[in-house]
Amino acid sequence: MFEYEMAMAREMGTDARQIERGLRQGDVALLQALVEEYQYRLVRYLIYLLGRRDGVDDLVQETWLRVLERGSSYDGQSRFEPWLFTIARNLAFDQLRKRQALSLDTIDCTNQGAQADPPVSSAPSPFTLAARTEDAERLALSLQKLEPIYREALVLRFQEDLSLQEIAAVLGAPVPTVSSRIHRALATLRLQLDGGDHEA
Amino acid sequence: MKPDRHEMFEQVIDKTLAGDVSPDEERSLRLHLEACPRCHEYFSAGTRVISGLGGFSFAVDPGLQARVSTALLVRAQQLESRRLSRKRLVWICIIALVLTVVGSFIDLQFGRVAAAFLGVQPTHLRQELISYWIGPSFWLLLLFPMLPALLTPSKNRKGNAL
Repeated sequence: MFEYEMAMAREMGTDARQIERGLRQGDVALLQALVEEYQYRLVRYLIYLLGRRDGVDDLVQETWLRVLERGSSYDGQSRFEPWLFTIARNLAFDQLRKRQALSLDTIDCTNQGAQADPPVSSAPSPFTLAARTEDAERLALSLQKLEPIYREALVLRFQEDLSLQEIAAVLGAPVPTVSSRIHRALATLRLQLDGGDHEA
Repeated sequence: MKPDRHEMFEQVIDKTLAGDVSPDEERSLRLHLEACPRCHEYFSAGTRVISGLGGFSFAVDPGLQARVSTALLVRAQQLESRRLSRKRLVWICIIALVLTVVGSFIDLQFGRVAAAFLGVQPTHLRQELISYWIGPSFWLLLLFPMLPALLTPSKNRKGNAL
């Protein structure tokens, strides 16, 4: 077991160093390979973070362009995924801030206190559309209602398999905070599944 | 079993599911789960949620990867050309600096000799050197680094910084 873990760590270290070297040199071929490898995971992370599908593709593209431009800041000491998700997260929050600023501007311009945000769509949530199992269908509604910080903790821990320390680095939050977000998110979803069972 | 003991184990289960549990806690939890149906159910519900999260499959636009690759190529070319212009700028500044220093050095060290050799007044030669050599290279040294900023349209300077 120990040898296996050591081998994994060595492999991870080599990968991270290769990526670090490639990014420092602005190796586009390496980046294209990374895009292919991480495309689905990045899309999934951003959907969990934003709770919607629109705008995610643009953010994915912006994330990779940022990776190209700021590649030299990846040190290769830790895994690539947390660094990638941190970039995507920062861009997503920048976009949200811009949208909110735009909304406030719109309110100021019209001076009518009208809703600046687009009306709530009646289209099914991305989670409902993506649910492939019965349990996932039950969880979809709760996931949509869950706050982004909790959804984010869930996807990073259980889908991306990041450690609590890595998640803390992505979120810029202490490990106990990350841990408590995971507990709360799980508790909420557990209630949903239990409720579904009882209804059934 | 006392309810507070269940609560304690539920906390350990939460920690276990989040991956935040010590080996000792994990061991005691395993023993407890074998004997306690209530906590076992709590644990199963948690693992069911986690496996339920794996039941989502998000659709990805098949053209996304090609679009990202193209955008990366374009940006890489832009960065490369920006890097080359910066390099060129540095070289021009170095040349201008060398010309300014060499011109000044010649004026100070060999001005009189050169004036006598050419048969002109030293002050006249100095004026010529300043007008046609030292002055232009000095202005090139001062102004050239500012050229990119002066030539960039103002809307780009405000920056859609990434």
